[in-house]
Amino acid sequence: MKARKIKRNQMTPPVRTLNKLLLVVLFISMVLPLLNVLAISFSSPQASMSPGLMLLPREFSVSGFVYIWTRANLWRPFLNSLFVTTVGTVFQIFLSAIAGYVLIKKDLPFRRFILVFIMTTMMIPGELTLVSVYTLYRDLNLLNTYTGLITNGLVSGFSILLLKNYFESIPHSVSEAATLDKAGEFKIFRKIYLPLSIPGLVTVGFISFVSKWNTLMVPVSIITDQDKYTLPMVLQALVFNTSSTSGTEFIAPNAVMAAIVISVVPLIVVYVIAQKFLVSGMTIGAVKG
Amino acid sequence: MKRNLKKYVFIYILLIPVILYFIVFSYTPLIMGIIQSFQASRLMGDVEWVGFDNYRIVLQDTSFIRSLWNGAIINLGTMAGSLFLALVTAVGLNEIKNKSVRSTVQTTSYLPYLFSWTVVGGMWVFLLSPNGFINGIINLFSGPRVLFMTRANLARGIMIFTGIWKNVGYHTVLFIAAIVSINPNLFEAAQIDGASREKQIRKIIFPELVPTLKVLIILSMMGLFTNFDQILVMGNPAIIDRIRTPMFYVYENGIERFNIGLATAASVIVLLLTMILTAIVSKLLSGKWRIR
Repeated sequence: MKARKIKRNQMTPPVRTLNKLLLVVLFISMVLPLLNVLAISFSSPQASMSPGLMLLPREFSVSGFVYIWTRANLWRPFLNSLFVTTVGTVFQIFLSAIAGYVLIKKDLPFRRFILVFIMTTMMIPGELTLVSVYTLYRDLNLLNTYTGLITNGLVSGFSILLLKNYFESIPHSVSEAATLDKAGEFKIFRKIYLPLSIPGLVTVGFISFVSKWNTLMVPVSIITDQDKYTLPMVLQALVFNTSSTSGTEFIAPNAVMAAIVISVVPLIVVYVIAQKFLVSGMTIGAVKG
Repeated sequence: MKRNLKKYVFIYILLIPVILYFIVFSYTPLIMGIIQSFQASRLMGDVEWVGFDNYRIVLQDTSFIRSLWNGAIINLGTMAGSLFLALVTAVGLNEIKNKSVRSTVQTTSYLPYLFSWTVVGGMWVFLLSPNGFINGIINLFSGPRVLFMTRANLARGIMIFTGIWKNVGYHTVLFIAAIVSINPNLFEAAQIDGASREKQIRKIIFPELVPTLKVLIILSMMGLFTNFDQILVMGNPAIIDRIRTPMFYVYENGIERFNIGLATAASVIVLLLTMILTAIVSKLLSGKWRIR
């Protein structure tokens, strides 16, 4: 009886086949381009230039990686990006946790005003203030500095609200008990709220790491000093050089693809680490979002 | 009230860095931008007020007007394609019983969303190059070689396609989250009433996905004209007229040519246009006027 019931709650065979076919097509069109990039990056320079379909490396070699890392000095923008992103992410988590905690105090004077003040910043599209951000950075002497790169999107209204919602999901009785025990405000925050909010904190950290690692628009606007280039800026220049024929020094496709592979490794590492917290962090944070 | 204020002095001190950051880096640029849009573009010397001159110039610039169309077409195309495909994929994946197959498809299609446009754009410029993967496939069917990245009539299509490729996995994940949260009792009840699975999908799953769909549409309306990274990475002189978005126009004029008055005027116009369109769309979708 039970088996029959389960069997009945399925789509009809032709629809089922169509569904599987669609999913296979989607999967292939997502995976093949990625495989192709991987295959080219591990090929020899000559083989990487030959036309055609390539899903496995031809003439396996890591010369692309060696070339782009040492001869083309990719290590420098890589470290720049890593430094700026890590520092920025730590600040993002720290500042939004504090602001989020403050905002759960229901009897805080001016709470409503502060909340509106923060939420309004989410409605200002950062993209559209680019030119005035540039002049602001110029006036503050932040052009071509790491400080400038780090302050770009240092804390966002979104992560403050996400953590505020997360903190609110922690039962109030927990902190009340601690208050009765004469625990100070800061101690309650550090010993109760932070440990109980790991998924929320990881989610904020993850979102912030990804967006800071990938950010391109503000860096290309405020950085002209090659020593401070970030990874996306160098990749953009590499792609532009290969698509236009007027190259300074010719860089073989395997090296360009190696640069792409190198630049996504940290993202994948962070994703794998954060993955198991992401779902709960997202869903609880989004309940009231 | 007064006692509260005293009690919370420490807490207000904690908030100072965040409030200060938003004042300096969010509100100041916005106000500066509005002020600069009424000034002549000069690097030094006295400020010269020019009224609405910058706005007049921008609105008479055909490349700005065209950029509005470009941005709208590329973003609406990407949004429609990605949301439709994600909807089909999410519903379809939900029917697959094998859990590891499900999570493999989900994760691989989500990955491109994590990557920057420099990665995705760079990849596709390469895949679409004369010796690239796509021409390899065309060659397999003995078709002629296509120079994708220099054909102006293909440019918007390529932007839309790569946009969909990058976003579809993310949208799928959001739809799946909405499907998973549906109360299983609904399906049981439908089953007892003898509804087929197709009917359950139509009558239970689709209606439950509508709120998510609406939020995503409103969100992408807010980003209608702000597409930048993709154009910077994938654009080239042969096709730029077809794909120059308003944001790219602002960058070219403001950052590359230091024409700050012109660029900020364009920003303000785009900001107002975005607010109006978003308000109209959310009114149409949810019956409420709201900016966000």
